[in-house]
Amino acid sequence: MADIFSGVVIVATLSSGIRLAVPLLLASLGEAFGQRSGVLNLGVDGIMLLGAFGGYYTTLKTQSPWVGLAVGLAIGLFLGLLSSVVSVSLLAEQGISGIGVYLFGLGMSDLLFQRLVGTPLPVPSFQKAPIPLLSDIPVVGDLIFNHSIPIYLAFLAIPVCTYIINRTRFGMNIRAVGENPEAADSQGISVTRVRYAAVTIGGVLAGAAGAVLAIGLGIFQQNLTNAQGFIAIALVYFGAWRPIGVMAGSLVYGMVSAVVLLLKTRGIIPLGASDLAAMIPAVITVLALVVAARRFRAPTALTKPFIRGG
Amino acid sequence: MHIYRKPGFARLLAVLAVLALVATACGEDAEETPTTAAPAPETTAAPEATTDEEMPEEEMEEEMPMEPLRIAVVAPSASNDLAFTQSIVDAVNVIAAEHPGTDVAITDGTFIVEDAAAAIRGYAEEGYDLVIAHGSQYGGSLQEIAADYPDIAFAWGTAADTFGLPNVSAYTAASDEGGYVMGVMAAALTDSSVIGVVGPIEVGDAKLYVDGFHNGAIANGAGTVNINYIGSFSDVALASEAAQAHIASGADVLTGSAQMVVGAVGVAQGAGALWFGTQANQTALAPDLVVASQVYKWEVVLREIISDLASGQMGGEAYEIDLANGGLVIEYNDGFDLPADVRAAADNTVAGIIAGSINTMEAMMTPMEPLRIAVVAPSASNDLAFTQSIVDAVNVIVAEHPGTEVAITDGTFIVEDAAAAIRGYAEEGYDLVIAHGSQYGGSLQEIAADYPDIAFAWGTAADTFGLPNVSAYTAASDEGGYVMGVAAALMSQSGVIGVVGPIEVGDAKLYVDGFHNGAVATRGDVTVNINYIGSFSDVALASEAAQAHVASGADVLTGSAQMVVGAVGVAQANGVFWFGTQANQTALAPDLVVASQVYKWEVVLRQIIADISAGSLGGNAYEINLGNGGLVLEPNPAFDIPAAMMEQMGTVIQGIVEGTIDTGAN
Repeated sequence: MADIFSGVVIVATLSSGIRLAVPLLLASLGEAFGQRSGVLNLGVDGIMLLGAFGGYYTTLKTQSPWVGLAVGLAIGLFLGLLSSVVSVSLLAEQGISGIGVYLFGLGMSDLLFQRLVGTPLPVPSFQKAPIPLLSDIPVVGDLIFNHSIPIYLAFLAIPVCTYIINRTRFGMNIRAVGENPEAADSQGISVTRVRYAAVTIGGVLAGAAGAVLAIGLGIFQQNLTNAQGFIAIALVYFGAWRPIGVMAGSLVYGMVSAVVLLLKTRGIIPLGASDLAAMIPAVITVLALVVAARRFRAPTALTKPFIRGG
Repeated sequence: MHIYRKPGFARLLAVLAVLALVATACGEDAEETPTTAAPAPETTAAPEATTDEEMPEEEMEEEMPMEPLRIAVVAPSASNDLAFTQSIVDAVNVIAAEHPGTDVAITDGTFIVEDAAAAIRGYAEEGYDLVIAHGSQYGGSLQEIAADYPDIAFAWGTAADTFGLPNVSAYTAASDEGGYVMGVMAAALTDSSVIGVVGPIEVGDAKLYVDGFHNGAIANGAGTVNINYIGSFSDVALASEAAQAHIASGADVLTGSAQMVVGAVGVAQGAGALWFGTQANQTALAPDLVVASQVYKWEVVLREIISDLASGQMGGEAYEIDLANGGLVIEYNDGFDLPADVRAAADNTVAGIIAGSINTMEAMMTPMEPLRIAVVAPSASNDLAFTQSIVDAVNVIVAEHPGTEVAITDGTFIVEDAAAAIRGYAEEGYDLVIAHGSQYGGSLQEIAADYPDIAFAWGTAADTFGLPNVSAYTAASDEGGYVMGVAAALMSQSGVIGVVGPIEVGDAKLYVDGFHNGAVATRGDVTVNINYIGSFSDVALASEAAQAHVASGADVLTGSAQMVVGAVGVAQANGVFWFGTQANQTALAPDLVVASQVYKWEVVLRQIIADISAGSLGGNAYEINLGNGGLVLEPNPAFDIPAAMMEQMGTVIQGIVEGTIDTGAN
């Protein structure tokens, strides 16, 4: 127990936290786009599951995790478009239609898995790609610069998304249709087109989240995501609809989970308290983000379908 | 010298008869009279066999100074149909051979009863000595005609009724006897446990044959005997389609009765399915696939009817051919390589039927009737863990009791969904509904009380709620866990072992406790880190828990429940050893899984099914353990377990079974 603070254990635990955080991070970044444009997509978990299965199955067949990831992205793209059609063009009640997408993804991924694979078979995962020189830095190098490429890409997506949302015309349009679609419309911005784009980006990132999860684990199972898509949606709220906020939420959640695991592993959290301990990540994340995000408010038009002149 | 006529119309036959008589008359030059002609052929080489087989011939000829008989046959299908009509034609030919000079007229193909009636009346009018109405369907007509011709002897088959008329004999075939023998062979030869029967209409000897076949097959372990009465004696196309339907339903052995089955035999030939024939030898229809045929030897009853006639009795008796009197004969196809044991079983069955020790009308039930079993389980049927263990076991039961019907609802993580499924199966009248999840207990207690006639099983649990229709089953998984713990302690270099558990309950807790105790008892310096992740389904968390163990120095891991697939992957990636439980997990990490404790729930299912057969729907709690073979340690054959370690594991298993080792789990 004395070695609990040794470099190796700390690095391993924090690395574990990063791995746990990445699927949440990707899914919640994508969801942030949609919500900023005024569309709540509750189907994230369903898209993740189908992206996870598609990525897993493709990797199983091609033995290439990268082809698998590409298929996961493609599935996310397709389901993102589908969600857009339902929410934006058909003006469906967003809460209900998202649940529909979730249930579809949950059932379909399991059905396909049972029919096409059956007994779980391991697939090759992403190789670690230590970044030259940087990964040699003691502790920090191993912690931050010794991961697989999708994990780097996930974190690289944070500044990219921040830039897109805050510094580009496209990002400005997203924020505009999310706050006041009528005004945006009067300025000649196509609310429909912007929302389609935002929701589809969300789908692509959710598909990626699922694929990274499944391929990272090297396995698939019924309901693999275990409701991570819903946690991601919550993280968007608590992360105040900002990429940096959802990153913080994802990392807190992942890190707390990893630390709790370590404490249980070492017997510091007694066996009898295991079930209670399982709640700790959620509790701490909620508390942290509620405190941090108090001064932000939700996009005004969130969950409200836009009807021109309506 | 008999006159022998093949198919044709009555008139044509009459003309031929005349011609033949002329020919016979011509022969008189050489051979004195027709009556005395009989011995003459015996001097030639050809009838030698006849002399051996038909020894009474000479005596009969001498003792019964019979005039040459004139026999007419009216039958519904073709004389060479390899079935019903051929059987009587063949028999009449035997009689004609036995009684040279016998005049035979045959009208075949009279599917239409009115046509048959006209032919019967015609033969009676012409003064034939014996008119055989060979078809159950001719009964009504015959009753009228026979009354009109009291001096003519009639025979009607297959039937047991003489209408109380003194000039009508009835004859029937105990075709259930041969059918039963065929069923015995069919049960032995089927691989799929599915047998198909194509019947005409559920009457007469066809029904008897089908019933006997069914009973023989079922009594000898055949799983499913699908019977299809197509509603016609003549629709060959429909019979063919019925056979196709049997093949599509998995049948690999077929049989059928009546003349339309030629279509079905063709299907058997095409599909490579075995065929059992009846009424006539059907080998010619599928020389490679006909196993045997039950052949009717109507000559046995015809001899008796002719003997009656000779003694002046025109009828009034009902006769039967059966295995005992030689009227039914099983003819085997020499071109089919019938295993000796199957042949022996058939011969024993024939002997048993003749001796009266086998009742063909009674399907001697194996200990149980085909059961309908339903399973409701929380995760996927192929989860390599908890759910798969019960699904595998039910499949074993099905293999042991072919015909068992199984329904599985898996993936019911949500207890309300499971409860709905359990209630649904009970409502559908399943014989045994298995609620495979500790978490289903509360629901089951309510449902089982509502359906007192349905047997339920609940696991893993030890409580039957005091209900007489609930069995409980549990696994002493601490036993295998203990053995694995011993092995893990011996294998660990670092002295640190990691355990990934779901929630601290049920057999998962037992396993983890047993594993811990086994490891600690073996090596005092070993550290067993136990991590209950709080979920049965969170694969990612199980994976990270395994990572945490590895980071903490563990070089041997184990874990229980379905989410451990994530943890095994970590073991594989880090080159640490893995011990599995619930199902054989070797496939997940072929190089690093040392051994798996495999649940053989069939051990308790057999007991529960035996209870049900004995009339008890529940009330008992059962357990699988190392002693009763319900828990089995399956080493990974690709993993080179040191001999000394194997030996020590064997010693520990023995100690647990004998009670000298206490796993310390409770």
